[in-house]
Amino acid sequence: MNARILWLVLGSIGVVLGALAVCHVGPGVAFAALLKGSLGTPNGITKSLENTTPLLLAGIAVFLALRAGLFNIGAEGQFLVGALACTAVALKFPGVVGIVLGTVAAIAAGAAWAWPAGAIKAYRGGHEVITTIMLNSVATLLTGYMVGSGPMRAGGGDTTTASLTDATRLPAVIHSGAFSLNIALPLAVAMTAALGWWLRKTVSGYELRAVGANPTAALYAGVDPRKTAVRAMLASGAVAGFAGAVQVLAYEGRFYAGFSPGYGFDALGVALLAGESALALIPAALLFGVLAKGALNLQFVHVPKGITTVILALLILIVAAVRAKGVKKVA
Amino acid sequence: MGGYASERSGVVNIGLEGLMLTAACTAAVAAPHFGPGGALAIALLVTVVISVLHWMATQIYRIDHVISGMVLNLIAAGATNFVASLFNASSSGVPHFPVVLYEGLAIVLPFLTWAYVRFTRGGLRLVATGADPDKARLAGIVPERVRLAALVVAGLFTGLAGAMLVAYTDGFTNDMTAGRGYIALAALVVGGWRPLPTLAACLAFGILTALRVQYAGVPVLGVMPPSEFWAALPYLATVIALAGLLGRGRTPAGLGKP
Amino acid sequence: MSAAVSLKGITVRFGAVHALEGVDLEVTAGTLHAVVGENGAGKTTLMRVLYGAQRPTEGAVAVEGAEKHFSGSAEAIAAGVGMVSQHYAIIPELTCLQNLMLGAEGGVMIDLSAARERAEGLAKRMGFQFEWDRPASDLGPASAQKLEILKLLWREARIMILDEPTAMLSPADGEALFGSLRTLVDAGATVILVTHRLPEVLVHCSWVTVLRGGKRVADKAVSETNASELAGLIVGEAGYVLDSEDVRVREVRDRDGLATLVLRNLTVRDHRGHEALRDACLEIRVGEVVGVAGVDGNGQRELFQAIVGAAKQSGTIVLDGEDVCGNSPAGRIARGLRLIPEDRHEQGVVESWSLEENSALGLQRRAGLAQGWKIDQAGRRSWAQRLADRFKTKHGGLGLPMASLSGGNQQRFVAARALESEPKLLLAFSPTRGLDIKGAADVYAAIRERAQAGMAALVVSFDLDELLLHCDRIVVLNHGKLTEPPSRDRDAIGREMVA
Repeated sequence: MNARILWLVLGSIGVVLGALAVCHVGPGVAFAALLKGSLGTPNGITKSLENTTPLLLAGIAVFLALRAGLFNIGAEGQFLVGALACTAVALKFPGVVGIVLGTVAAIAAGAAWAWPAGAIKAYRGGHEVITTIMLNSVATLLTGYMVGSGPMRAGGGDTTTASLTDATRLPAVIHSGAFSLNIALPLAVAMTAALGWWLRKTVSGYELRAVGANPTAALYAGVDPRKTAVRAMLASGAVAGFAGAVQVLAYEGRFYAGFSPGYGFDALGVALLAGESALALIPAALLFGVLAKGALNLQFVHVPKGITTVILALLILIVAAVRAKGVKKVA
Repeated sequence: MGGYASERSGVVNIGLEGLMLTAACTAAVAAPHFGPGGALAIALLVTVVISVLHWMATQIYRIDHVISGMVLNLIAAGATNFVASLFNASSSGVPHFPVVLYEGLAIVLPFLTWAYVRFTRGGLRLVATGADPDKARLAGIVPERVRLAALVVAGLFTGLAGAMLVAYTDGFTNDMTAGRGYIALAALVVGGWRPLPTLAACLAFGILTALRVQYAGVPVLGVMPPSEFWAALPYLATVIALAGLLGRGRTPAGLGKP
Repeated sequence: MSAAVSLKGITVRFGAVHALEGVDLEVTAGTLHAVVGENGAGKTTLMRVLYGAQRPTEGAVAVEGAEKHFSGSAEAIAAGVGMVSQHYAIIPELTCLQNLMLGAEGGVMIDLSAARERAEGLAKRMGFQFEWDRPASDLGPASAQKLEILKLLWREARIMILDEPTAMLSPADGEALFGSLRTLVDAGATVILVTHRLPEVLVHCSWVTVLRGGKRVADKAVSETNASELAGLIVGEAGYVLDSEDVRVREVRDRDGLATLVLRNLTVRDHRGHEALRDACLEIRVGEVVGVAGVDGNGQRELFQAIVGAAKQSGTIVLDGEDVCGNSPAGRIARGLRLIPEDRHEQGVVESWSLEENSALGLQRRAGLAQGWKIDQAGRRSWAQRLADRFKTKHGGLGLPMASLSGGNQQRFVAARALESEPKLLLAFSPTRGLDIKGAADVYAAIRERAQAGMAALVVSFDLDELLLHCDRIVVLNHGKLTEPPSRDRDAIGREMVA
């Protein structure tokens, strides 16, 4: 292990311990609170896994774009518009029909929301980080309006749509006592594996990765970097929209203001942690999901939940530093 | 101008948002205890430290600039949340310097920056490092040092922005920067990485943001747009500005290179 | 006479690659000293040590009698050492004057008028002329080099290193350069010339040091040696004769043969909107190897990109009988276009990918490497093995990243990839960049062998001698115009390059 990396790790641990010290809380207590909140009870585990699902799906979206060399920070906005679109359609068509059509609507909405960023980057060179973040804000405002003073609001005091019927929801596969696992999570895991397979074993996956790794070399190798970039963003947005649909159909049953506590942003962290391996998205999403649930418990020991964000960010930094190390010449 | 300093030396700085947020939070938390002057000093110090972290991540650990920037934004979001709840940062009544002071600085700084780049040795080396760090190294310049200075300055200027926010809204709330850091970056791009055009772009974005206050409750073309529409205007404008050909072709050639 | 430079026991290692092993070098003050060796012998690395741009793993550096430990070029410059590197360190975005004074501005505030005066003075001394406030992107290679020399004078360098200075110049400009160098030496400077071109050494230099494989193998006065002895020392074989023009006479091919490549009125604009290539017309027949000579910056890159399909062009390109103007690179590759690009790092390989993955770059859809939309892993592995064997690429394993290979080995791999994949038209840009003499000879032998089998080739190079040696026909690019000189006379072609 490199000396520099070691310093980084030590420094990070120091920062976290220092922060805890300021709260007058020992690391053991804090850690225990985290674990208890997330994995200590069947309800906790259920919720942790619930958190993991949108993180994993949105993580797939961001990961896909990342492999093509694009930073899709807009997963949050794409997630929101996808969820809203799905709700709108599913409310009109109850039952399985609603599930299917709602999902399609979500995919379309998400893709449409991502398209401007992709096109602007490919054909105008405008950095997609800025455009996607801007579109996020627009999405938040738009969906907020829809359930606020706009047409989607169900009557009553809350900024929310009406709820979907039970028939228009995705079922749980395991249900025993307080623990329940929706079909959404296994579905997400399967999608992750499929993405990994596609990237490594197909020609089009190879070409996408080439564009992400070296666009000029890809061009000389017969791949059109601009078309690939746009397609990658569209696909990424579509998956993020899909994530929104799943969230509605599996867990929420409706759309409301504040629907996403930042799944799209955390998805970036998930994708960065995963690095080059699609399968690594699964443990990364799990980590984020568990910590998010556990963080709520931290309040009971007087530690603000912002500390988990810092921990995860430092982890990403360390992992990125390790990956950025150079390659030694052997010949 | 903070973004200018950083990017002109070749370091992509997506972390402006995080820097602003850090400065705002620190200023708000420190002001009741140390008064406006002390708070400003502390805020600037902390912001510079974070900025130097970005320098370390990109120059020493050679992490991708965009990743480092986003990570720092995350750290800032988490840390400010942490600090704000811990120290009960109030959302009103925080002592601060008058807003006009900051506004004056905002106008003067671009001119000073322009003059610095044009007439001093440091300015030439800054532009050279951003254009081609390897060739600059052969001329005897140490790009890492130039970039360190640049990022310290970036921290200072952006810190001022964060402190100003607190002055303007009289307190701290979570995520109060609301994307301004990214809009600033867009203004830099639209302005072609030059101080004075960037100033113009910032003014344009500022006007758009102000429209919300002016026109709330006023119908447009016979239709009453929701308040969210005005709020969304600056963000939409940023996207459209980047979609236009403004600023393209003036990117410092060494931007993002280690 | 005193030693201006004294290097003792210099060793430089990059991981497992030994760039230099225990090299000594002593340069007498006021002389023109040559350091020769083929590509990869370590000449540039040794000079970078002297210039402070490379820390030696072991060894001592002394300048004008004083021992020095440079931690950066600034210290070397302060000690009176200056270097003009092979790919000039001129920054295009800055003006000529800014480039000149970068790093030695003479104070915190920049006094433009004083600087301009001093610059004019120095330029007059050497007989150069510059428009100081024009962007340096306007300069051609010869002018850029002159500016680099002025940079050395600006910093009052007493020891000047020039790395492959004539590589990018036309023969006439090369002669002019040596005139300038003579002026400098007569004024008391010490000039170290790094080159692989023996004629220059024999005519202009007084002392020569030979490096081979990172070690010093000879150090003698030019008057006491000759071309064949030096050639033998460089390559390591006594009595080695560098190919001369008459050794290889190509059969004039059937003049009525089919044309593989036809260019008609091809015009390409560069990113500033200027016409970098104007109305180019060219026909290459099956089995012909055509060389494109010219000074860098006259449209070579635009020509290359146009044929690849990566540039906006007007005019016609016919490849293997089919009009490919509307085709993307993928379409042209499918018709048999193969590339050896100029910069393998930027355009040819993905450094973080394994050799196996790189072997399919450009060919990923071909049978044997893919089954429909799926990748054929086994096929790809055996393909990668075949490529590595072709030019004896040294590597640590096919699964290791491309970055683990030295530049020369990467180039071997890229060349093999283009030549082994049934090329109909080979488009090569400086195909032997980074290769030693043996490697370069192997690549050209392979090109000729393929040509016999029906491949057509277009080779762009800044090395006129290389083209004269290996190509059937030579065309010249000058300011975007493509012309074909009537004879293979080196001087005549040289003149057309700068006409």
